[in-house]
Amino acid sequence: MNVLIVACHPVPDSYSASLRDTAVSTLRARGHEVRVCDLEAEGFDPVLTAEERRLHLAAPSTKPHLKRYGDDLAWCHMLVLVYPTWWGGQPARLKGWIDRVWMNGVAWELPEGGNRLRGRLRSLRRIVVVTTHGSPKLVNALQGEPGKRVVSRSLRLMCSPLTRVTWLAAYGLDSATDDDRRRFSARVEARLRRY
Amino acid sequence: MRVLVVYSHPDDTSFNRAVARAAVTSLTQAGHEVDLIDLYAEAYQPAMTTAERRAYETDSPVLDDVVAAHARLVRRAEALVFVYPTWWSTLPAMLKGWMERTLVMGVAFELDERTRRVRPLLTGVRTIVGISTYGSPRRYVSVVNDNGRRTLTRALRGCTGWRTRTRWLGMYELDTSTPAEREAFLDRVRLTMKGLP
Repeated sequence: MNVLIVACHPVPDSYSASLRDTAVSTLRARGHEVRVCDLEAEGFDPVLTAEERRLHLAAPSTKPHLKRYGDDLAWCHMLVLVYPTWWGGQPARLKGWIDRVWMNGVAWELPEGGNRLRGRLRSLRRIVVVTTHGSPKLVNALQGEPGKRVVSRSLRLMCSPLTRVTWLAAYGLDSATDDDRRRFSARVEARLRRY
Repeated sequence: MRVLVVYSHPDDTSFNRAVARAAVTSLTQAGHEVDLIDLYAEAYQPAMTTAERRAYETDSPVLDDVVAAHARLVRRAEALVFVYPTWWSTLPAMLKGWMERTLVMGVAFELDERTRRVRPLLTGVRTIVGISTYGSPRRYVSVVNDNGRRTLTRALRGCTGWRTRTRWLGMYELDTSTPAEREAFLDRVRLTMKGLP
């Protein structure tokens, strides 16, 4: 299976970075073709430009600087997102990857005169999220888990009706112990080994 | 009242720009003191840096002059107004990153040492207003969830306190809207701004 891992955390030796490494090694060991996109290491600019906005409905070929990212997204059968949840959702750098790379002609198309996007990522059959929350689960539930819904609804709607979302989340990390972290890492590894 | 308007749209000719302008004008006419942060005009960098993340849980998490200036505006605001396009059902990266870098510990909240609970510091904010445009119809937005709205009316209210009132103005189906519909929406924006307590 073609697997694209998109990781985003500003600190190279963070816990989130170790989860990324766990995902990469586990999925490679299972024999998958794995591509890794580390947004921080690449210095990915999250700001959608005025020019890109003007080309919102134009073909992807009008944005050659994003081609590599779009190709990876269209190529993968499984997408793994590894990031810390901040303010209930994806960090800006990862949100910028969604804003800029999930573009017309790659992730969706807009039928003439319509106002609802039609998804194009039909071979993307599973999205896995590996994320960490500083706050407890209850706080996130009260906030409505906006980041979870961005993936399980907005992004998934661009894929196949058969696409599944796997949500692997650690909560309450602000008060977690090393043992809690090890347990969560083991859970991530065990889950990914099933694919 | 001191009002902070935070505006994020890449295109200077966009409808969002007209909305931001209408909001600022009406607030000023109503006698409020208005600060405007135009993130694209400032060429703001929304990605939290490695150094900022390392400093995040320290006593001085603000490392940048621009962030410090924005934090001062937030601290003295009695109302926060956000103007942005909803992309992928939530905030554009630009605005999300502004929250991440500006609303840090010591500015927007503090952590109780013992319970590790968040305590609000923006208790002077009486009202949060969100004004957003959507490509999709309103029903579609409610099915996939308005995650930007949740972020600003729930997650952010953890830092202002639950007594803070929220108002939401959504312009749906923007791309297929008529000039009359857009003008009507601008009137709603003006009226809401004039009516802020």
